[in-house]
Amino acid sequence: MKNFAQLWLPKLVLAPSFLLIVIFVYGFIAYSGWLSVSDSKMLPSNGYVGLENYERLFSRRHWATALNNLWVFGGLYIVICSCLGLFLAILLDQKIRAEGLIRPIYLYPMALSFIVTGTAWKWFLDPGIGLEATMHAWGWASFEFRWIKDRDMAIYTVVIAAVWQSSGFVMAMFLAGLRGVDNEIIKAAQIDGATGWRIYSRIIIPMMRPVFLSAFVVLAHLAIKSYDLVIALTGGGPGRATELPATFMYSYTFTRNEMGVGAASAMIMLVMIFSIIVPYVYSELRGEKQ
Amino acid sequence: MSVPSQDNAVQGSRIGRIMIYAVLVVFVIYYLTPLYVMLANSLKPLDEITGGGMMDLPRAYTLEPWRQAWSQAQIGVEPTGLRPYFINSIQMVVPAVLISTALGALNGYVLTKWEFRGSNFIFGMLLLSCFIPFQIVLIPMARMLGLMGLAGTTGGLVLVHVIYGLGFTTLFFRNYYAAFPTELVRAAQIDGAGFFQIFWRILLPSSAPIAVVTIIWQFTNVWNDFLFGVSFADFDSIPMTVALNNLVNSSTGVKEYNVHFAGAILAALPTLIVYVVSGRYFVRGLMAGAVKG
Amino acid sequence: MAALSIENLIKNYGKTEVLKGIDIEIEDGGFLVLVGPSGCGKSTLLNCIAGLEDITSGQIRIGERDVAGLHPSKRDIAMVFQSYALYPNMTVEKNIAFGMEIRGIAKSERKKAIKNVAEMLQIEELLKRKPSQLSGGQRQRVAMGRALVRDPQVFLFDEPLSNLDAKLRVDMRTEIKRLHQRMGTTIVYVTHDQIEALTLATKIAVLKDGKLQQFGTPAQIYNDPVNMFVADFMGSPSMNLIPAKIEDDLVVLKGGDTNIHLPGPHYLAGYTDVVFGIRPEALTDPDGADRAGRIEIRPCAIDVVEPAGSDTFAVTTLGGHEATARLRADAMVDPGTTADLAFNLDKVVYFDPKSGERIRG
Repeated sequence: MKNFAQLWLPKLVLAPSFLLIVIFVYGFIAYSGWLSVSDSKMLPSNGYVGLENYERLFSRRHWATALNNLWVFGGLYIVICSCLGLFLAILLDQKIRAEGLIRPIYLYPMALSFIVTGTAWKWFLDPGIGLEATMHAWGWASFEFRWIKDRDMAIYTVVIAAVWQSSGFVMAMFLAGLRGVDNEIIKAAQIDGATGWRIYSRIIIPMMRPVFLSAFVVLAHLAIKSYDLVIALTGGGPGRATELPATFMYSYTFTRNEMGVGAASAMIMLVMIFSIIVPYVYSELRGEKQ
Repeated sequence: MSVPSQDNAVQGSRIGRIMIYAVLVVFVIYYLTPLYVMLANSLKPLDEITGGGMMDLPRAYTLEPWRQAWSQAQIGVEPTGLRPYFINSIQMVVPAVLISTALGALNGYVLTKWEFRGSNFIFGMLLLSCFIPFQIVLIPMARMLGLMGLAGTTGGLVLVHVIYGLGFTTLFFRNYYAAFPTELVRAAQIDGAGFFQIFWRILLPSSAPIAVVTIIWQFTNVWNDFLFGVSFADFDSIPMTVALNNLVNSSTGVKEYNVHFAGAILAALPTLIVYVVSGRYFVRGLMAGAVKG
Repeated sequence: MAALSIENLIKNYGKTEVLKGIDIEIEDGGFLVLVGPSGCGKSTLLNCIAGLEDITSGQIRIGERDVAGLHPSKRDIAMVFQSYALYPNMTVEKNIAFGMEIRGIAKSERKKAIKNVAEMLQIEELLKRKPSQLSGGQRQRVAMGRALVRDPQVFLFDEPLSNLDAKLRVDMRTEIKRLHQRMGTTIVYVTHDQIEALTLATKIAVLKDGKLQQFGTPAQIYNDPVNMFVADFMGSPSMNLIPAKIEDDLVVLKGGDTNIHLPGPHYLAGYTDVVFGIRPEALTDPDGADRAGRIEIRPCAIDVVEPAGSDTFAVTTLGGHEATARLRADAMVDPGTTADLAFNLDKVVYFDPKSGERIRG
């Protein structure tokens, strides 16, 4: 039933988006890839240097710090957000009367820019005017909370702020998942003799696997891309203590004039993300076809 | 199945219920405290701030920090406050959201009702583009914008946000239209409707729920963006988030925290308002699309 | 001994009365069907029996034991759900074993029980599969297996066949009946399909809007309905309910230019308007009529003729209402003509048009 126009129109309509993506996403990725094997410093240049930039990259202490931080931050971020989100979702699933009020309160941080979040928590965690100072003012003089100024602990402050921002969203995902559980399965479990906690642990939570997966994908990709939050919260510091690959890339490309190395770091970030996303997207699309 | 009552709650004891509520309240405090701190301290004169007592309510309420943040704070070269940057943000966000949503709708329409060989592959590529680290396109995009004469302009930022928002908008509309009965399209074809007519008169009118979700999502993402703003904008086009960061991080001398707080809230206000007004629909729609993948 | 007895059961949701004083009893080994239209409260009643919902007042006894306040798992019941409610993340084997695990039954006992049940229901090859890998009929059997393994005093079925296609439904219906005959356990079965009710039950409870309309054997419900609702709801095609007038001891079905007069029973004296109820199979062609019955033959205008294979249905107008007659397959009738129809007066029932209640002698 398709005439000539209907045969070509779909392709024509899709073409602009497709072209834009091909050029500005995949073309740029290729370009960055090329940059990463070039001798670009302050400006792009054409000299081919093989994997030299990558070697330089991995020999940099800052990069090792950045990767380590990503591991720590990303791991904690994903685990805490998932557990907290699931926990809060289960609580909210207990027919809470004030749910309509509480749920938006848990969720609103995700509407904020990471810059705003970082800024707010920066003060909150600042020993001079934030939590520590308040505790002192309230009489608890020995209270100490200087993580944000501490080289070893600063990365955990990023975790705190990031969890505050995203856990509400994960909670909403789990809540939707919990609500999607067929009521009759719960009844069957009750007749079988299972009570409250058992029903959750043996039946409902295992059914949440797809939600865990979705949450993991979203959080992992946010963690790898994290830039705004770190810049606003700690600026990468103290020193370089909260460096993450995203901040590393930016500084090496634009302020340190080592574009090749910066591009290499960006490529590494890409590989990390794609190794998670591509299998996920592929299996989702294939699953849909069935 | 006609059981009206949802019987899946834990039939808990009284103590259990009280504990549950207690924990929930603790977390309400956890989520609200930073906002409270910002709000309360934005209404204090500077001497109250430096005097400590972050959690206290202002002893002397003043809107001066807000006025400062809006129109007098030193951010760029001139002490203009955040107002011009607010306008920049709006000029950037509105076109970006509208264009990317419209394109997303069309794409979703084609990908679900007019599939052809390779259309799934194209969708996969679009989907993947949602997840790339944006850092990777900074250098080439900067060059490209320069070549196109769009460097540092709002138009350039609009283009950037449209391109990198296409993946999400297409995803949302595609998932939504996938659930839309194809029989309606076939019936319209039999009635003689053409490609665009079917879109315009059958799919689009029923697209309100997903359009709301998409617009809110795009609005939030584009408004809150920092990376593209800090990389591609010039004074004429610097958006709110970048300006806020400059305000907060580059102040020399006495840090006027109250002004910073006021500025942060100003920066967050549009997305917060959007969220408060329509958050319910947003979450509902997002759940339908996001959990599916 | 009654396996299940319900006394004056009332259930309210807030201010709404959902179950209004239900009295039902079923003997040990019986098959009780709760039937009625959507929203009549039959599923709610089943949930109350199971203990999945609270009752406002009244008493429920399972095997002479008052089960008020008892957790569902302690009421000695098992339940099969409409959507089967199999635990999606467990294999068939684990699904069946779950309840036993919770009750602390030893592993060897569990294995034996599972083996027995699997043999009985012919699901042995399915034991290692997950529910998502099973067909609708297979899931149904696994759900029954899970219930069987509890060896309960009462089985509860909540519309278990509604999700199956027509042919499968008929097959599974027979299997359930066979299972009941073999095991002899008491069954309480909820359905909206009155054919299921008539074929499976030893006793039927017809519900409407939370009230018990009639409780009796299938034959009683079918032949001796207590009000117009029951008469109309049970039986397919439904009973013809025709408004009629009483004039001089005769029942008159007024219709256009032709009135039909029939001798009426003496207990209708005192009524001017009644509802004349006759099932299609009691309204037939003269040669096909029941010789033993009191037959009156009248000419009727035939509107539509529907050959249905084993019978032929003819639609006529009686008393201004459409009425269906069931004729023999080879009866010669044509639409648009007038044919003689035989009324079997032994099978006719009368109702009070205002209250809908049955008028009896």
